[in-house]
Amino acid sequence: MYSAATVEHALSLRHAGSAGPTAVVGEAGRSACGDAIRIELALAGGTIAAARHRSFGCPHATAAAELACALAEGRHLLGAARIGGSDLEAVLEPREQNRECVLLAVDALHAALATALDSASFPFVDGRVAVAMSGGVDSAVALLKAVEAGLEPVGVTLRLWIDPGAPDGERACCSPRSVRAARDACHAMGVPHVGLDLRAGFHHEVVEEFVAGFQAGRTPNPCMRCNGSFRFAALAEFADRIGAARIATGHYARVRRRDGVALVARGADPAKDQSYMLAAVPSEILGRCWFPLGEQTKVQTRAQAGRAGLEAAGRAESQDVCFVGGGDHRSFLERHGGAGRPGAIVDLSGRRLGRHAGVHRFTPGQRRGIGVAGPEPLYVLAVEAASGRVGVGPRAELERRTVWIAPGRLLTPSRRVQAKLRYRTDPVWATVRPGVDGFTLDLDEAVSGIAPGQTAVLYDDDTVVGTGTIAS
Amino acid sequence: MSAVYLDNAATTPLCAEARAAMEPYLAERFGNASEPHGFGRAARAGLEQARARVGELLGAEPGQVVFTSGGSEADNHAVFGLSGSTPGRLVVSAIEHPAVREPARELERRGFEVVWAPVDGEGTVDAAEFERLVRPGDRLAAAIWANNVTGVVQPVQRLAAAAAERGVPFHTDAVQAAASLPVGLAASGAESVALSAHKLGGPKGVGCLLVRTPSELPPLVWGGGQEHGLRSGTENVPGVVGFAAALEATHAAADARAALRTRLEQALGDHISVVSAGAPRLPGHLLALVPGIRADLLVLALDREGYAVAAGSACAAGDAEPSHVLLAQGMSAQDARSVVRVSLGLQTSAAGVDGFAAAFRSCVERLRTGALQPIAAEG
Repeated sequence: MYSAATVEHALSLRHAGSAGPTAVVGEAGRSACGDAIRIELALAGGTIAAARHRSFGCPHATAAAELACALAEGRHLLGAARIGGSDLEAVLEPREQNRECVLLAVDALHAALATALDSASFPFVDGRVAVAMSGGVDSAVALLKAVEAGLEPVGVTLRLWIDPGAPDGERACCSPRSVRAARDACHAMGVPHVGLDLRAGFHHEVVEEFVAGFQAGRTPNPCMRCNGSFRFAALAEFADRIGAARIATGHYARVRRRDGVALVARGADPAKDQSYMLAAVPSEILGRCWFPLGEQTKVQTRAQAGRAGLEAAGRAESQDVCFVGGGDHRSFLERHGGAGRPGAIVDLSGRRLGRHAGVHRFTPGQRRGIGVAGPEPLYVLAVEAASGRVGVGPRAELERRTVWIAPGRLLTPSRRVQAKLRYRTDPVWATVRPGVDGFTLDLDEAVSGIAPGQTAVLYDDDTVVGTGTIAS
Repeated sequence: MSAVYLDNAATTPLCAEARAAMEPYLAERFGNASEPHGFGRAARAGLEQARARVGELLGAEPGQVVFTSGGSEADNHAVFGLSGSTPGRLVVSAIEHPAVREPARELERRGFEVVWAPVDGEGTVDAAEFERLVRPGDRLAAAIWANNVTGVVQPVQRLAAAAAERGVPFHTDAVQAAASLPVGLAASGAESVALSAHKLGGPKGVGCLLVRTPSELPPLVWGGGQEHGLRSGTENVPGVVGFAAALEATHAAADARAALRTRLEQALGDHISVVSAGAPRLPGHLLALVPGIRADLLVLALDREGYAVAAGSACAAGDAEPSHVLLAQGMSAQDARSVVRVSLGLQTSAAGVDGFAAAFRSCVERLRTGALQPIAAEG
């Protein structure tokens, strides 16, 4: 059954049709019911001069499209980005099972807004800050702090590519459901939200690189690459377009300046510190960043979210290597052409102990899943992609005192550092010897399980002073 | 409120004959037909006269007429009752009303094998295929007499004969057909036939199951032993009296409806394509495909203009489920959401049809400004 307002809007057709040949377009569809909505926006500067819709949808979806256009018309793009599901539901009063139909129109409007903002070039506005929203509790509290600080935040969620065959893609922080959660979090605070569809670029820049890395026998860290050369760059470009000088995210990290250079430093919560993951973010972008959670603990964040009644307070954490969507990366690689060649498992003397199904299944330091037994526990020592050989040996052989980092760069001249050679491991003291396109680390103590492809991050006290890829 | 009612396949207004026949039983003849006193005897007389009259009109002995609460009950009783309690095999047409389809699916869940007999592109059950599918030992074969969505009249006599040859009981749902066709037990050769009063000018909440061999059918309701022991419960005497009166009055205007439908199809012309145009259809039934226009929206638009019609696919739990009947005859899911059912009744006038056609054309033209050819939906 339909509310009177639903019937009225569905049949109104006041905003039905096309907004002209130069209009920007947003589309949303649902395969489950065959509904599809197209919204077109004709722009005059940053203002929506006309909003029009066409649809093949049920009366709920059609009414929502009409209402969304009526609300958007005449508003600034960032004002229209405040329009959300609750605005439409307040008028149309859909039953629970029809809320999805209404949200389809919101999705279509926001798709059009994102397209429109893609070519925007708004003048810089004091206090305007682009806040990266994942749909989780951390970014929601970061936004809350921006609001409380009297700034003018604009929420932005990057929709990234997720493996369509993933077992739990909806949990990833870039899933459609998370984009909607992020949008709701912004709208609950009266903040505009923009969802950028970066699936193609992300796949090209991050996922393909990840697959190629494993094929080459490395153990790449896609999150480092994403933060370092994709995500923050996209955020910075977005901030430029909407006239925001600053960028905020919900990371547990801080920004420090040394000799005028912005560097990332550890967050105050040692258990949540995310400075390692941000080590590759370019300094010129870091200089625009604000991490509102850097000075506090996760426990405090949860308490603040709870006090503010943020819906995201109880939400699950987003995960690393988001695009595998809850699956394991080995089966992901096999589904996506990243399987390395099969070959022999050999011991230190080159003696063949057995065969394996592909080099992508192995990473130095790995103990489980080798498939051959020895008199003492065997560990993966080395992976040779070209020959397909996987070298194994006793734990003692894993230990290394010297690591070659290339490419690598020192952000400030440093000699004695603490080096973190993998995420979620303790750093070790090391001495830096600069080289041609990288540097050598002489470790104070032996370390095992050093994997080429992983990222080394160098700390001076709590500040990141260098980073690079482990070459050997 | 709609002024012109063109949804007679959903339900019909109570006809004057039925209303007049019922009135005494809603007033002074209120007795319980099981009681021996004068009040009871008066009710029983009305009940048994109605049973005899219904049997006469539908080619059945009074002992073969079981009054029910409507068509769905009659279908459920036949499908569950005739199929038995231990798993066996059923052949059921792919275009059954949910009152047959869902009991068959429930039997599937209980371990029965259900074979769904296909239809051709016009929505007619493929009789040769049906004959091939039905095998001796099957518990039940079933096919609807005339489909409630398309109005297509099925070759029930041939299908029933095929089942009878193989010793398989055949059930047919004649709920939609009975308002326009001379349906019946003898005429069909079926083991059982289901009817409902409110589709043919009678009251809601009453129908009947005609059953050739009542002793073969287990009871649906146990209790006081009413309805030959098959369906206990104090009889709905006003209902069955109204049912009998409506049934008697119903067939006369079939030809008038057919002529009005032709007039309507011509008036709508290029705005629609007639679904199942090449098959024999119920005389007052028009299923119109309006490509690119959502039927659920068009129904609302026509309602606002004062015309009541139905969408061919019902919206259930938020999703407009494309009708299984339309999918079975090869229609795409998108087109199935663009199908409007117009069903004329005894009360329908030429002026009403003309006014509807004009409203239909203007509504479709208006809705086209907001129509979108379906885009590829993403997962």
